[in-house]
This record gives sequence, structure tokens and C-alpha cells, in this order.
Amino acid sequence: MKSNRTTLRIVIGLFLTVALVFFLFPVLWMFLTSFKTQDQIFASPPVIIPPRDQWNLDNYIGALTGSGGLQAVRDSLIVSISTALISVGVGSLAAYSLARYRLGGDQFSFWILSTRMFPPVASAIPLFLIFRQLKWIDTYWALILCNTIFNLPFAIWLLKGFIEDLPVELEESALIDGTSVFGAFWRITLPLISPGLVTALLFTFVFTWNEFMFALLMTRRAVRPLTVMIQSLAGGHEILWAQIAASGVIAIIPGILLVIFLQRYIVRGLTMGALKY
Amino acid sequence: MALLFVLPAVLLLLSLTIYPLIRTLALSVVQLELSVSPNEKFVGLTNFIKVLTGDSRFWNAMGNTAVLVVVGVAIQLVLGMTLALMAQQMGRGRTIWVTLFLIPIMIAPVVSGFQFRVIFNDTFGPLNYIIEKLTNGVIQPPAWTANPDTSLLTIMMTDVWQWAPFMMLLILAGLESISPELLEAAKVDGANAWQLFWRIKLPLLMSVIIIGLLIRMMDTFKTFDLVVLLTNGGPGDSSETIAYYTYLNGFQFFSMGYTAAMAFIQLIVIIIISRVFLSIQKRQRGADE
Repeated sequence: MKSNRTTLRIVIGLFLTVALVFFLFPVLWMFLTSFKTQDQIFASPPVIIPPRDQWNLDNYIGALTGSGGLQAVRDSLIVSISTALISVGVGSLAAYSLARYRLGGDQFSFWILSTRMFPPVASAIPLFLIFRQLKWIDTYWALILCNTIFNLPFAIWLLKGFIEDLPVELEESALIDGTSVFGAFWRITLPLISPGLVTALLFTFVFTWNEFMFALLMTRRAVRPLTVMIQSLAGGHEILWAQIAASGVIAIIPGILLVIFLQRYIVRGLTMGALKY
Repeated sequence: MALLFVLPAVLLLLSLTIYPLIRTLALSVVQLELSVSPNEKFVGLTNFIKVLTGDSRFWNAMGNTAVLVVVGVAIQLVLGMTLALMAQQMGRGRTIWVTLFLIPIMIAPVVSGFQFRVIFNDTFGPLNYIIEKLTNGVIQPPAWTANPDTSLLTIMMTDVWQWAPFMMLLILAGLESISPELLEAAKVDGANAWQLFWRIKLPLLMSVIIIGLLIRMMDTFKTFDLVVLLTNGGPGDSSETIAYYTYLNGFQFFSMGYTAAMAFIQLIVIIIISRVFLSIQKRQRGADE
């Protein structure tokens, strides 16, 4: 019986390893590509691992300096950090009143949730026309606002779940001691849901960092996030595969860090708190 | 006070969702060709009629999107379920397995699109090289993204690659919340592994599966990034999704009124899908209790 079980585990382990190779190969291949020369990319048979002396950062430096990569990283950072702060700041207040005062009931909560289901391309047209009138196209504000639409409902729902998990008595006793409602929220609720705040901040950051459609539609030249840069390089005439691969590696760093450090809350985050495992 | 707390969020969401919604509706009954003139001309329901009855490219894009939403998401579910059932058998070491499997989920679709454009490339991509080596050149693999028969498939495969791990994660979490006593009791009663899965695990996983399917179907309905990176909708219109075709109308042809009507139709489709799912979920909850 015991050895049966071990055999089963080995067989399943083998299957999982094969599956894992399939799921990690594209990432690994991009990583290897980012160290190749243009000749090696087109070589047949393909160069799998570039020679040792070639493991340098040339393609990375090229990606960052040559095609406006540094500006792209900066733009992505500015937009993502602002979106995360606005969504979580405004979202935590809203989540508190929805969780504690059941403001507007379930219908209201669901309305907030449903705004996230909007097809982005449907809201893109009116938003584009509004921003054009305001002369906001190609500014950080246009992008931050567009991303906030989709991240605010996410932050509200996620944080609402975290607040509902707290015993309400803590806040009540503070209120009896004479603390204001805002004081109870600020000094008691917020510190207790700090794991939720971190989860919401990191998720909204990565969602915005990875976002492409609004970044493409609402920017021209002055603002150019990383995703737009990668797309425009990949759509050009002479494609510098290795440099794009290097930009790609840079672009996936925040997401991978999130997966590694936030694994405990990842189910909760990805389902907007619908599943609390 | 509670009202004051929720006010900023409501104002933001109202101005950013309700106003655009009204504006879309208003646009959908006018003709506005921004590339020709900035003037709007009221045309009534003409845009809607033209989209629904006179635009075969719209229906082609809807069909392609339906393939991704139904077939693609179904593959993600089956693959995710298989991986979850396997990972559960791995005992304590499974946390590391799961972490490694999760990496694709958080990669920007633009980057996954780029990765697969390299992999599918017909002159230097590793996929065709492997196929030719394994079959000794007997099978001539296609130029995946440049062939109308396989272009949509490349988008589907990339989406499956990215999101099957998400299904795996959800189902694994669901599996772990099933009480071991229940499974033990069924085993004592003589249930085999097959019966355990179909009669006990699967019914208990239903609510997790429904949430996973809802989220994935909603997101796949919006597929845009992968289309831009992999095929640009081509060759021809063989891999155009509805989000991509809407984008073309609005931001390449600048037919704002026509695009607004198209966007509104999508909104209705999304609402119908979500309503269906919510009612299934409600019935499911009733059955669980």
C-alpha cells in the first residue's frame, strides 16, 4: 500500500513536471532571447543558451536607453502607483461604509461590482471624446482615471471582505469611548486590515502596470507606458527581438514578485474577494 | 457619515461609468465620422440595424470571440482541473509547485503575446523547429500566426497558457476545503476514486467552478491585447475579436456613432452572460444548503 502511494506520487510528479515545462517555457525562452544577438535569434538550428561571454546587460541597456525604455518605465510607475493609491484610498472609505452601514444594500454593492464588467472598449470611446475636449489626451491624468474605473470596484470589493471579517465590537467600544467614526476607521479598522490594504495596493499596481488598451488609446508621445512601448517595437519594420525580450523581462518583474510574496491572498485577489481561501 | 465615506467613490464611478454610458447611448443614434467632420447627425436606430443586419465582419468577430469564450475557457477548466487534482496528491511540497504554475497569470498579456509570437514564428520559432525534428520533417508545421486556419488558435493557446493556472489555483483551493472526513466516509462505504470525483468532489466544487468560469468568460470576451500582439486580427479578419473590431471602427476608422452602437450591443451581451451566471449561482447556493 505504502509503495503504491509512492509510485503514484512519482508518476504524478512526472506529469506535473512536463506540464510545468510547458507553462514556464515561454518565460524561459524570452529570458534566454534577451541575451542573444540578432544573428543568434535567426540561427538554424536555434541557439538555445547563448555562449557564456554573452551574458551581459547590453540588450537591457539598449532597451532602456535606445527606444525610450527608461521613460516608459517611469511613465508606467507614475500611472500605476497613482492608480493604486487613489483606488485603495477612495476604495477603503467606500468599503468601510458598505461593510459597516450596509449603505444602499446589496443592490448598490452589485452596481459597483458591475462597473468592472464593462467592456473597456465600450467606455473608451466616450472617455476619449471627453479627454479630447479637456485636452487631457497624452497626459498622466487620462490614464490614471481610466485605470481607476476598473481598479476602484476591485479595491472596494476586496477591502469590503477584509472589513467584514473583523469583529465589529472593536470599533463599537472605541465609539463608546468617544472616538469619532473617522477616528475608529483610521486608528482601529485600517491597521487591522493592513494585509488587505497591501493586497489591494499590489494587485491594483500590477493590473495597471499590465494594462494595455487605455494606455494605447489615451497616449501619443509625451506619455508612453511600457506595454505600449513593447507593442510598438514588436510592430515595427525592423524588429529588435532581443531588446523587446529584455523589455519584456523588465515588464514581468512586478507580476512575478506579486505571485511569490502574496500567494496567501492570491485567490482572494483574483476573484475580488468572492472566494476567501 | 457613512454617506460621506462612500461619496468620493460614487462620484468617481458615476462620472467615469454612468456618464460614458449615457454618452455612448447618445452617440449610438447619431452619425459622427471624426475623420470627415466633427458634426453629429441624428440617424435614429440606423447604426444598430446596420451592425446587426448589414455587417458580416461584426458577426465574424462575434463568432471568433465566442470560440475563445466557449472552447478556450472550457480547455482552461479541464486543464486546470486535471492539474489541481494532480497537485493535491503532492502532499506538503505542493506550495512550491503551485507558485511556479502561477507565474503566467500575472504577466502582462502584451508580454505573453510577444513571447508566443516568438514561439510561433515560422522562420526561427522553437515550436516549428521541435515539430520538424520530432517528426523528421514529415509534418510541415504551418506559419501559425500568418495562416487563417491557425491564427485564432494561436490567440486561444496563449490565453489557455496564461489562465489554465488560474483555474488550477481556484479548484485546488476548493479541493482543500472539502472535509477529509467526508471523503474518508465515502471510501469506507466502498466508493472508488472515480465515484469520489464525480459524486462528491465535483458537486462540492461547483460554486468555485461557476465563479472561475464567470470571471474567465467576462475577461475573454474582452480579448484585445493578444490580438494586437499576435495577429492584428489577420490574416484578413480570421482572428478578429469583437473588442478588436470595435477598436478598429472607433480608433482607426473614427466612426464614433457606429462604434457606440456596437459597444452598446456588447454591453448587453455581457449583462446577459452575467445574469445567467448569477442565477445559476443562486440555484447552486440553494442546492448546497
